[in-house]
Amino acid sequence: MRMIATIAKLLVKRVLTAIPILLLVSALLFCILRILPVDPAAMSLPPNATVQEVEAMRTEMGLNLPLYQQYGIWLNKLFHGDIGRSIHFRQDVTSLIGSTLPATIELAVIAMMVATVFGLAGGLFLFYVRGTRAEAVMDFVSILLLSLPEFLWSLFLLLIFGVFFEVLPFTGRLSPGFERPVVTGFLLLDSLITGKISTFLNALQHMILPCLALGIALSPSLMRVLRSSLLDAYQDDYIQQARLRGLSEKRILIRHGLKNAILPTLSLMGVQFGFLFGGTLLVEIIYSYPGMGNLMVDAIRNADLPIIQGAGLTYCVAVLVISIVVDSLYLILNPKLRVR
Amino acid sequence: MTFEIDRRNLLQMLGLAAVSGSVLSQATIAFAADTDNVTIGWPSDVPSWDPNLRFVPDAQPLFKMVFDQPLDQSPDLKLIGNLITKWELKPDGLSMPFEIRSDVKFHNGDPMTMEDFKYTFVDRIKSGLKLDIANSWRTLTDIEILSPTSGVMKFSAPTPTAPQWLAFLGSYLVPKKYIESVGPEEFAKKPVGTGPYKLVDYQMNSRIVLERNDDYFGTKPKIKRVTIDIIKDPSARTAAIQSGQVDLTVNIPVREAERLGKTEGLTAEINPFTRLILLQMRNDKGFTDMAVRLAAHHAIDKAALSKAFYGGAAVPLSVPATPGTPGYLPDYKFAYDPELSKKLLADAGYTADKPATFTLAATNGQFPSDFDIARALVQMWQKVGLKVELQQIEYSKYFELNRGGQLPEATLYSFDNATGDPEIFSGYLMNPKMPFGAWKGPEIGDKILKLFVEPVYEKRIAGYKAVAQEAVETGANIPILQSVQTLVKKKSLNYVKYGNAWVLGSTMSWS
Repeated sequence: MRMIATIAKLLVKRVLTAIPILLLVSALLFCILRILPVDPAAMSLPPNATVQEVEAMRTEMGLNLPLYQQYGIWLNKLFHGDIGRSIHFRQDVTSLIGSTLPATIELAVIAMMVATVFGLAGGLFLFYVRGTRAEAVMDFVSILLLSLPEFLWSLFLLLIFGVFFEVLPFTGRLSPGFERPVVTGFLLLDSLITGKISTFLNALQHMILPCLALGIALSPSLMRVLRSSLLDAYQDDYIQQARLRGLSEKRILIRHGLKNAILPTLSLMGVQFGFLFGGTLLVEIIYSYPGMGNLMVDAIRNADLPIIQGAGLTYCVAVLVISIVVDSLYLILNPKLRVR
Repeated sequence: MTFEIDRRNLLQMLGLAAVSGSVLSQATIAFAADTDNVTIGWPSDVPSWDPNLRFVPDAQPLFKMVFDQPLDQSPDLKLIGNLITKWELKPDGLSMPFEIRSDVKFHNGDPMTMEDFKYTFVDRIKSGLKLDIANSWRTLTDIEILSPTSGVMKFSAPTPTAPQWLAFLGSYLVPKKYIESVGPEEFAKKPVGTGPYKLVDYQMNSRIVLERNDDYFGTKPKIKRVTIDIIKDPSARTAAIQSGQVDLTVNIPVREAERLGKTEGLTAEINPFTRLILLQMRNDKGFTDMAVRLAAHHAIDKAALSKAFYGGAAVPLSVPATPGTPGYLPDYKFAYDPELSKKLLADAGYTADKPATFTLAATNGQFPSDFDIARALVQMWQKVGLKVELQQIEYSKYFELNRGGQLPEATLYSFDNATGDPEIFSGYLMNPKMPFGAWKGPEIGDKILKLFVEPVYEKRIAGYKAVAQEAVETGANIPILQSVQTLVKKKSLNYVKYGNAWVLGSTMSWS
């Protein structure tokens, strides 16, 4: 009960803190995008539009008003659920984000799971081989993994598994011929809800390479932090006491060492998940994955400011939610925090 | 502490892997194999399935499979009838009587009528919807319906390129009855056209699935189902064709196309098409002196640029028009002559101590090898004594800089014109009232403005040929190369090659 109360208190506190953060981010986003040397009015018209037509569009879009007034109008619309209308697609930004966000969430969550499995397994292995020759090899491997960005992993995996061995698909979310169920927008979930197991498996196949590319790029830092945390934890007295009590090394590691060492890793995972959520752009482009990253690239290319603003705010909300979840997990895993 | 992988664990893991592999393999679809299907790897998506909404050249082949244009173009770019069977622009260019087919049905079964024409080109535009075609049809005041299959387009000013625009960007016929019943938003979600294919599935930025329209009035497509995978990354498109995940793809790097062309089962083409690579020129600042502009032009080795960046397939140009189009001058050549460049500069009083200087702006990644070409140009100019600063700009900034008069002396630019008509080449590029070209000189500009309202075709074409040559000889324009489209496909897949780089599933077949 005490834990639930503490978590509830934290949630209320964090939600209240999130409001000014969101306002600040929205103001920053708005101002930065207005300072950019692009003309949204011109971009919203065909190239053969006349100077007069561009001017009329500028007035219609309110771009001639003072910046604070433009922000006020935008904020007022935002409170009414209207993020704006895309300049390029001429659709509501809300519907564009709504149709692409689930794909990115699905990608980010599974990629994070891959990163977690590789990171934790690698961290445990690094710790296990400490002081041996294998440690140097593993150190080298982890640094190598760390030095390659996710887009290079994307191309590398695509060439190996898509072109050389031809065992995995690498375009889109489904192979041609599969019907795409639409219930929630989360393809894996929707295919399960509608009982289309073959669609589920095919969608899973399509996610292997992008998720591996994202996950592998994130895992080395998790490995290294977990290894360091375990080394620190094994300096503490309770490990010696556990050994004196005759517990097996496996039990000591899982029940005592890992439980204490996991907290910094969890923190890092939270931060990484935030980055991951906003960092799928290139991977989505390479794998033709129809998520928010892909939409964002279109928006940047077309100077589609309403989409950039909407996507920016969505990323901000996602990062805030992730940080609340991580803090809650911290409270669950670390009793000391609950006492305070 | 020991974690052992014993025989039992190993067998368990192998068993799990075998089961997973077997289950996943059941979900694998055989890559395009049967003759009823074709999968195309395309570099960009449609901005919306409302074809009147936005002008995006690369989306036109996608629209053309679902919708029809009133007029069409043959592979050699001649205007041909389509939904409209007869048309005749009146000598004053103020009206155009036309007749339409009576046997055309929309995908939902509704017959195409004259009302649909009036709705698409007049009523929809006047309704206040923000449609890009409103800008191309701004002189169209009305379509008078004379009978169920005939009418007259009426213009407020002479519109000599009205027939060309009926086969150009955004001019697709849309169904009045259907749009009025479901609304424009729903129409964009579930588009209904008269084209050879129906849209059966669409996921933005990922896939378009089309199924043959068996009631199509024209030649029935041989391929029943066309899948278009939107693959924006050129490396991924290369990988997709190499691995067989797509049957045809376009716009991959020239070197990759050449490599894949040697691969068994694949064939590669490097096809020049109706897109220019040129230098937009200013008539002031460092380019006030015509000698400097001409020296800059004579110093460019266009053949070397073509060889270096497009495998020699991009045709060097002397006028702002592509070979085979009405405004092209096949016998006119502007010489590559660095010695003449040096002489022109010396005669104008420029020396090594007092060189002519200017700035070149270029995009990076807007079209293949753009920034590399810009760097090569700077080197070529340096050799003749021109001092040039290279500045990178975003494509989205081009029009804004141009409108504000802030472009530098020269800008490397690519200009697409699927019609091939000289108004949309020289006319648009040098009309001082339009935002495309940087040249604002009145000598050329006045001539162009007169040609914009010249209704007699032959006179108009002759006028554009003359003004294009004059523009080049006065340094108002520096055409460089005809752009190329790389295309790689399976050898057994046939398609019809268009001079404007349209790649249409409706023309494809397997052999």
